[in-house]
Amino acid sequence: MKLVDKLEKILYKVKNPVRYIGNEWNMVKKDWAEDKIKVALAFPDLYEIGMSHLGLKLLYHLLNEEEDIICERTYAPWIDMEELMREEGIPLFSLENKKAISEFDIFGFTLQYEMSYTNIINMLDLAGLPLYSKDRDEKYPLVIGGGSIVFNPEPIAAFFDIFFIGEAEDGVVELVRKYRELKDKALKKEEILFELSQIPGVYVPSLYDVSYDENGRIKAIKPELPGVKEKIQRQVVSNLDQAYYPTKMIMPYMNVVHDRAVIEIARGCTRGCRFCAAGISYRPVRERSKETIIRLADEILRNTGYDEISLTSLSTMDYSDVADLVKTMARRYEKDKVSISLPSLRVDRFSVNLAREVQRVRKTGLTFAPEAGTQRLRDVINKGVQEEDLYDAVQAAFEEGWSTIKLYFMIGLPTETMDDIAGIVDLAKRVLQIGEEVRKNTSRQMKKIQVNVSVSTFVPKAFTPFQWVAMDSKEVIEEKQKYLKEHLTDRGLSFSWNNPDLSLLEGVFSRGDRRLAPVIESAWRKGARFDGWGELFAIDKWEAAFRENQLDMSSYLRARELDELLPWDHIDVGVNKKFLRKEYKAAHAGELTRDCRQVGCTGCAICFDLDVKMELYRGDVNVN
Amino acid sequence: MLIRAEFEIKEVLRYLSHLELMTIFRRAFRRANLPLAYSKGFNPHILFSMGQPLKVGMMGWKEYFDLKLTQEMEIEEFINRVNGELPSGIRINKAASIPEDSKALMATINSAVYIFKMVFTQKMKADEELLNSFLAEKEIIVRRERVKKGDIEIDIRPMIQRAEIIEPGKWLFQVDCSSERNLRPEEISRALVDFFPALEYIPISNIVREGLYVRVGNELYSPLDEKIVGR
Repeated sequence: MKLVDKLEKILYKVKNPVRYIGNEWNMVKKDWAEDKIKVALAFPDLYEIGMSHLGLKLLYHLLNEEEDIICERTYAPWIDMEELMREEGIPLFSLENKKAISEFDIFGFTLQYEMSYTNIINMLDLAGLPLYSKDRDEKYPLVIGGGSIVFNPEPIAAFFDIFFIGEAEDGVVELVRKYRELKDKALKKEEILFELSQIPGVYVPSLYDVSYDENGRIKAIKPELPGVKEKIQRQVVSNLDQAYYPTKMIMPYMNVVHDRAVIEIARGCTRGCRFCAAGISYRPVRERSKETIIRLADEILRNTGYDEISLTSLSTMDYSDVADLVKTMARRYEKDKVSISLPSLRVDRFSVNLAREVQRVRKTGLTFAPEAGTQRLRDVINKGVQEEDLYDAVQAAFEEGWSTIKLYFMIGLPTETMDDIAGIVDLAKRVLQIGEEVRKNTSRQMKKIQVNVSVSTFVPKAFTPFQWVAMDSKEVIEEKQKYLKEHLTDRGLSFSWNNPDLSLLEGVFSRGDRRLAPVIESAWRKGARFDGWGELFAIDKWEAAFRENQLDMSSYLRARELDELLPWDHIDVGVNKKFLRKEYKAAHAGELTRDCRQVGCTGCAICFDLDVKMELYRGDVNVN
Repeated sequence: MLIRAEFEIKEVLRYLSHLELMTIFRRAFRRANLPLAYSKGFNPHILFSMGQPLKVGMMGWKEYFDLKLTQEMEIEEFINRVNGELPSGIRINKAASIPEDSKALMATINSAVYIFKMVFTQKMKADEELLNSFLAEKEIIVRRERVKKGDIEIDIRPMIQRAEIIEPGKWLFQVDCSSERNLRPEEISRALVDFFPALEYIPISNIVREGLYVRVGNELYSPLDEKIVGR
């Protein structure tokens, strides 16, 4: 029976069958011709999550622009679908031509989040591939991992043949063609991998030997063969304005998380928040010009029929002359009833006013992220927000008619004490009070003021100034959450938090090493899937998996020595380690480091290391 | 102008939910660059409505929507332009300009015709005989599933207007389908499976909604029929 017919037999039984049907508007389905290079792009989470992801769409369309390449998609099936697929003998398949993944040359994963690791190996298994790279010869598809945000790939290194480090726009087509060329020469897998390792940005984990000392600390990371580079340098697109951007973007059927036109107006952020991995690994800041953005928006709206357009970047409000850009766009699309949405608001009055002016669709609430409860701690993390900025911003928001405010904080930040936790409560109560005063004094109808306090647990991430700090223990996290639960009880306040076990596991992987691969495999064998989904996450499976492999979770959560060799030290994101150390020390001294757009170079060295430069629209500095 | 269109939904697109289908149409209209009419207010939306929702997984051969435009347009051009923007599996087959004050589809349609594919696990009597024995029941009680309110038992016999055999193994049911009285196809299939122990479970993909209709007396009309819209 053909795969499509088998599918027909099960689709009506599963929840949300549209996840598995493909056939979306702007989908690219090419003839399955023998001589084409076939690439399956996988997102290791549900369809609706993967279809919200810009990077995957960008790569999908970029590869499909090439005559000689067929690029198709696949997502992680939900557990009901997985069960039926296994029962009926349906392998993991692509949505376009409904081909088994094993028929592709390349199986590429977009990596976003540590909690999708079990989904990755589950997808390898569903595709009929041996899990470990060493067990797959050249007859199997080449398994590639990538993602524009640089992460620490070591815990999953054993499952992948290669990783592409950094932004793939400029190098991916060359990589794909090179692989096909090597495969057509009938080379052995080892030979192919060696050849690929010569391409900038390509990391072949099997070509590096990692040794540990008796305490489980890393002793050395060394290339196995002469001619393999010592460090793998992150690839960066220079001239974002000229870089490829898809305008016939594939449109999901389900109401996915971000179902609207998306334009990446800038890449990178130099604010320098010390907890933020993206803030380091997307550097430097590169902006698209206003003319390019509008041209792209015109085409995307025409090709999709969307009525909402989101201007995205790590900090949209920092785009040079952002007010002019969004007002121009709001005017331009007004007659077509297109609304402009600004995904990340800075904590200030300016941002609120701009949002109010252009957002036609009244969102129920506004979100601000002060991140920490006291000025002292905000200085430690280099979040340049003053208490008055927040009060000013929420005042403006309430005055403009928003009645629900979401405040986003973290607990477990380095140097944090219970005073900082109490600071979260004080801030939230003050915001509520400001709202109630505005409501009392306004002449207009206003809903009850609601302040939702969302508190996540800080996870130290590789490639940040906090990569050396200890993560809070479960007891400490629970004590802090308990305090917040007991004190955020006023009417009009609500409190939400993360499962500590989940945060701790994320903490293990974010700074983990290669010894974790068998742990991931054991947890998966015990049934772990979709660990990021609260309803499926089961810590006992993971605890058992760690025990089985004689590894201690807490050993991964400890503070690292500043001169210790770290599992990801052979990967060069471009920001040098000296700068991260300097920032680590500045954090502990409570010293701020300002944005290099405003005060000039602060020494992160990215521009020299990667031979790139900041690209600001019209070259002006953003002062609002 | 107000346009009423008849469309079909086939192939994999039958897995779309009602809301997803509406989103597809709205975006197709926008891409087709039609002179769309919007509601007034802070958050304007396209003046567009559909007939009774089709169950997820079921094909529909004659489904309907109404769309308001700010300018006159040739019907042929309308059909071509929108079809050019619809994914394969959805297709407009007919359309007409109807009076602006026409009653909404949901208030007009009151009947639906379903075709069931019947598979028995053992040799049975002729289909006609089986169907007659089923229809001869005074009452046919099935459980109606209700979200939040809790399930109840209902008698579906009065809601079956007509039934016949189209060909062996293909049974047609014409049933009530209005906002007041609606017989769900899965309730018919449950009743059939209860009545005939040898009948295999009927998956939703073995049921087709042949069409939505307006029943006047004993006659069935299309919602596009002149007698209904009175052009």
